Amino acid sequence: MSDTRTSLARPPRIVVSGLGVVSPFGAGLKTFWNGVSAGACAIKPATLMETEGFRSRLAAEVPADAMAALPASRRRTRADRMALAAASEALADAELVGADRARAALLVGAVGGGMYEGEAWYWDETRSGQRAAGERALRSILPFSHAETLANRLGVSGPRETLVMACASGAASIAMGADLIRAGVVTAALVGGVDALTRICFMGFNALRLLSPEPCRPFDRDRRGMSVGEAAAFLVLEDADRCRERGARIYARLLGAGTTTDAHHVTAPHPGGEGMIRAIRQALEEARMAPSDIGYVNAHGTGTPQNDGTEALALRSVFGDHGVLVSSSKSLIGHTMAAAGSVEAVATVLALQHGLLPPTANLVNVDPEIPFDCIPGEARPAAVAAALSNSFGFGGQNVTLVFGRGDAQ
Amino acid sequence: MLSESVDVAGSVVSESMGEGRRVAITGMGTVNAAGAGGTAAVAQSLAAGGTTVAPVKAFAVDRSRSRLAAEVDVAVLATLIDQDRGRRLSRVCQLAVAACELAVRDADVSGGTRLGIVVGTEHGDFRSSEEFAAGFLRRGPAGLSPLIFPNTVMNAMASLAAIAIGAKGPCVTLNQPTVAGDLAVARAAALVAAGRAEAVVAGGVDEICEVVYRRLAVMGALSPAQGQGMESCRPHDPAHNGPVAGEGATFLVLEDLESARARGATILAEVVDVAWGGVRARAHGVRSRRIDRDSAVAALIRRHSRSRAGLARCYGAGNGDPGVDDWERALLAHDLDGHATAGVVPPITLAAQFGQHAGLGALRAAAAALDASRGIGPVLVHGIARGGCRTAVVVRPPDARAA
Repeated sequence: MSDTRTSLARPPRIVVSGLGVVSPFGAGLKTFWNGVSAGACAIKPATLMETEGFRSRLAAEVPADAMAALPASRRRTRADRMALAAASEALADAELVGADRARAALLVGAVGGGMYEGEAWYWDETRSGQRAAGERALRSILPFSHAETLANRLGVSGPRETLVMACASGAASIAMGADLIRAGVVTAALVGGVDALTRICFMGFNALRLLSPEPCRPFDRDRRGMSVGEAAAFLVLEDADRCRERGARIYARLLGAGTTTDAHHVTAPHPGGEGMIRAIRQALEEARMAPSDIGYVNAHGTGTPQNDGTEALALRSVFGDHGVLVSSSKSLIGHTMAAAGSVEAVATVLALQHGLLPPTANLVNVDPEIPFDCIPGEARPAAVAAALSNSFGFGGQNVTLVFGRGDAQ
Repeated sequence: MLSESVDVAGSVVSESMGEGRRVAITGMGTVNAAGAGGTAAVAQSLAAGGTTVAPVKAFAVDRSRSRLAAEVDVAVLATLIDQDRGRRLSRVCQLAVAACELAVRDADVSGGTRLGIVVGTEHGDFRSSEEFAAGFLRRGPAGLSPLIFPNTVMNAMASLAAIAIGAKGPCVTLNQPTVAGDLAVARAAALVAAGRAEAVVAGGVDEICEVVYRRLAVMGALSPAQGQGMESCRPHDPAHNGPVAGEGATFLVLEDLESARARGATILAEVVDVAWGGVRARAHGVRSRRIDRDSAVAALIRRHSRSRAGLARCYGAGNGDPGVDDWERALLAHDLDGHATAGVVPPITLAAQFGQHAGLGALRAAAAALDASRGIGPVLVHGIARGGCRTAVVVRPPDARAA
């Protein structure tokens, strides 16, 4: 196939009108921003699973008191409860009601589904050799269960998709939801990602020797891996005209998205960052922006030696040395898997709105191979007009989003 | 009497594709219980009719309530995936890789940054998830395999297929019961129409694995549901009592029509309309008395059924699950409102021939494309799943619209 990409015919005209988050800081957007802007690290000793004998015993869990306070029934899976709370908050925040809500698209990025509860059943049955209680959990074990639950409980009946694109799932839901608006299929979309902690995820990254024994320290010379987290984050995307017509608040504009695949290796990124570079350039092209128009990058920034090195290579290729401020939200809330792309998109949108760039926690000695100001320790006041959010995942999945300030014309 | 509801859905690339690029189907590949190959093999297996459903061979089922399945012949898969790749790829990934390779060979498209892939799946690689977890329960952390873990993420099939065919454009995995394959085809058409890719390999894949099969049987999700009646796949039959599990992978190549023409590709059909949406229902539930009056899917069906050409045929998602079968007939009857011809309601079902799996939706789309290649059309590929996800794809003979 030829390598010439053709831009969409219509100019981008998509805005963000609602946000909702359940994160390791607790439930709610305000709680999330307070934690992010304070540079607090929510990575702590794991309580939800056995960690004896593992390389790491840490995780960024949604606090027990916050989970207990979520309104959804405790018979639902942990992930469904988080998703319901975050999606409800986003819809309420956008004041999306009536036909606008009923016709909205629903795109959910998910990987683990209700696996946490399914694992508990499997553990019990396998270890005891007896038929175990809790088999009902298997009905909600697959990722599509979230979208079905959200659609029914929240009355969102437009096009529905469950996207499983590894750690880029949440960002992909935003990119593909925006496409439905851009194509005129819908005027609004509830998009985002959710993942609760699962034993398989924790054990898998341990087996790959990618877990850090200490809270992850992206971009640090001495980084030793990632920290696993959990979250749900949803955004309401809207056609800008319809949003203005109904008088809703505009947080930010979604200016462009790039979605590419390395087609190189199932767990390792292309060593030259080829797919990442294409995703970033596609997003900039769609946004009709030059690299110099971007003031901040919310990096994928997992804290693994390979990811951070390759991402820095990709950013350097697009932005040149020292060209842009970069930080990693994963140093604050861990790697929230399918939710990461959407929770970091929310952080990016809020950074634009508040003129305050989230910091990278635990960053002491910046890797000399990473020639960027990575905002160590403390949030940085900066009036940035446009920002970029990167999400990369297993299978060489790359998604880049470009957001612009909502008050810009 | 059916209850009207305010369920709505949007979506479309359509006649509505008018603003975007036109989309052609230029090839297909399949590995299913009837055989494997490209367009000719799909046509042959569809023409053969009958059923591939038989007693399960892969594992013992004598203590199971359900004992039937449509399984892929081990020897057929072995001819497509050599021993070296067979060692490295899980079985469901082998199915996906083999079918995608057959599809791109059939369409004669090459890899690159403008080739995308959309994979629909219902269960993903659950076999690997179970194997990975069992390793831990047997041996603790030392029993965890770093080679198995990546397969537990449901996008492994798409990612490995992308590597195999060199697809560097969008790589999307959609998790959905019953209609995953048709949803993947619809999403792929939207990606091509929007210019996100020049060509997209789209379809579905699932395998029969013991842990999932046994659990579905215990939960009454397979025939004979609740243990009543004879075990069999009987879509839309008064005696239907649940689906029979199938497995396999089927993928179509959807391509920008002008690009396809420019390279002299064989154009089997044109995708002229797609829509997908949700009919409000409880998770995993059916609302067989609920219709979706205002949805884009309903609008698409009304538009085509009332057009001069009408709808020549409909391939439906009915799979023997009484809730799905009844809901599908009710939805179609409402949307067609008397504008149906023979072959549209009840819709043609392929579930009895190939068993229920995510590749089945793509097989429905493939059957519609083959009809179109013979001058039959427009053909509707319709889907409804428990939980309310509804899909529609309309294909026509390639010369039905002026170039």
